[in-house]
Amino acid sequence: MGAQQTVNMDQDQGLSFLMGVKKAHVLILKPDDLAQRNAILDAILNLSALKYTYRLVYLAAPRLFGASVDALMFKSRGIGLLFYDERRIDEAVPAQPLQTGQEPGPSQQDDKAVVAELATLKTMYLEMEQTINQLRNDLTALNNPHSMHEQTPRIPRPTQVITTQPSFPQNPMHVGELPSYFVNNPWLDVLSKRGCGERDPIAG
Amino acid sequence: MDFGTSDFKFGPITLGEQPRIVNNRGYFPDKNSVMYKAFEATSDVIVGDDVPLYLQSAEDLSSRLIYPMRNGMIERNDDQAWRVVRSLTTYGLDTFKPQPNNGFQGYYVVASLSSVCPRYMYERLMSTFSENNHGMIRAVTVIPQPFAVAIGHGVTTCVVIESGHGNSQVCPISKYPIRAAQVALNRGGGDANAITSEILKDAGYGDLANEEALVRKVKENIGLVPEDLDRAIHEAKRSPRRVRARYRVPGTRVEIDLEKDSWSRFLIGEYVFNPNHELYESYFNRGMPKPRDVKMGDTVFKGMLDFGEAIIASVERCPVELQTLLYREVLLSGGNFSWSVPTKIQDVAVDAPTKVKALLRDRGIRNVSVKMTNSPQFSVWHGCIIYGFAVPENYEWDWQRLEGWMRVPN
Repeated sequence: MGAQQTVNMDQDQGLSFLMGVKKAHVLILKPDDLAQRNAILDAILNLSALKYTYRLVYLAAPRLFGASVDALMFKSRGIGLLFYDERRIDEAVPAQPLQTGQEPGPSQQDDKAVVAELATLKTMYLEMEQTINQLRNDLTALNNPHSMHEQTPRIPRPTQVITTQPSFPQNPMHVGELPSYFVNNPWLDVLSKRGCGERDPIAG
Repeated sequence: MDFGTSDFKFGPITLGEQPRIVNNRGYFPDKNSVMYKAFEATSDVIVGDDVPLYLQSAEDLSSRLIYPMRNGMIERNDDQAWRVVRSLTTYGLDTFKPQPNNGFQGYYVVASLSSVCPRYMYERLMSTFSENNHGMIRAVTVIPQPFAVAIGHGVTTCVVIESGHGNSQVCPISKYPIRAAQVALNRGGGDANAITSEILKDAGYGDLANEEALVRKVKENIGLVPEDLDRAIHEAKRSPRRVRARYRVPGTRVEIDLEKDSWSRFLIGEYVFNPNHELYESYFNRGMPKPRDVKMGDTVFKGMLDFGEAIIASVERCPVELQTLLYREVLLSGGNFSWSVPTKIQDVAVDAPTKVKALLRDRGIRNVSVKMTNSPQFSVWHGCIIYGFAVPENYEWDWQRLEGWMRVPN
């Protein structure tokens, strides 16, 4: 039995699901969010806070984000990471369910946990800031109005869900305008995995 | 950056569908010349759109105008050619220099070379980028042109046949280039020019047959590819009006008309794909150079192997389980595969994909799909753009696999 979408009580740009007795939440970053300085940090902070409300939490980001992010940051914090484009959604990092016994405890434990989390988030923030600057430069270059052959590449919307655990409904978004040779090109997926230990045995 | 035999195509993703194009050549000006002093040029090598401004007499062309990659390769010690390449890379980067102080940290540069380039060309090109970096390059990589074609076309398992002016290469791809299975041919568009020149001489146009640019235009306008040469010649001799070859040189009164010898149009196209027909022996005997096997760098280029045998030889060097998949996607790339098919003679003249399919069928290979690349002129550049966009930054250059990003110090 797959996940069933429930009402999103948190009013963020996300989706909530119920899988049996487990609750899962997916916060979705849009392409425009990548250019905003604090959007990614806010998303991670929000998801960290939700870890006591939901069993599984995910961040869904455009595949463009994948080349710059360090998946270990999410893995170490139990936050799942999904990448999407117009063809598919892939689970890059599975979410770790909150273990029993880690429920909110007395206030002193809360304080220590919050302080530790803040320190961790500060480190993540610095790394993210570097990544965002790089992405901002890329987007600025793409939106340069003085280019003779200007096109404004935007992230294409996903059209097909491939992952099965958990099962998410389609979530159509804004249609992209990358050059035509990017559309439906399987090499984007193949090349993005270079160096990830997935070398095909039939290779040069 | 696509370093083609004739053209240097370059530019960032912001250009969209088409790159900037300049000739892949450089001019070494006479520093004592009036033009050099008038333009106050400080560069030792002139590249790009300014080259025509400096060209002087025809005698200058042979010694001062350098085409560095005539057969896709540069000799190790050809310093002039490497200086042209360095100037072109600088020209390409400077053309797209971003505004200062906007946080720009350097481009990820993807350069593309012929698949038969030896390792020293990779080394030399990488060091050219390193020496030439003025904050414009963050990292650089080099990929083979057939690999770029497959990426630009969007097919992960295929055989790419790249055919240019001087040579042709058959390259299987399966997520990576299968370098051990590559087959190179010492035959390209230049050989079609040679047979065209002989045909013009036979038809009484000997004075025109020595003008390379004209011969090339004649080839492009009257050359045909037969599905079966014997059948095409028989049909052409039976109905000469239907296949009559006429070409008027634009802007002149020069008109070429092969009249009853118009059947020879089919010899031009056939020669590219299969030079083994007995009819060509008479041309060889008269002195037309016969394509021979040569070794360039680490690669032996076969002269007389037809395209069908070349594809089969290449595919059969791959694992058996992969061969069926490779035959299902055969991609043709390069100007040497652009052949027209006049409507009136579609029963005997064919395009390049149909011809290749026929050659394979004759050798027992069916269930083959042969296509031209979507954008023959720009597919290499498209592939370079996608590669640079998608490959993770932390995939480091490796001299064994010849892939990955090499960081360039500022």
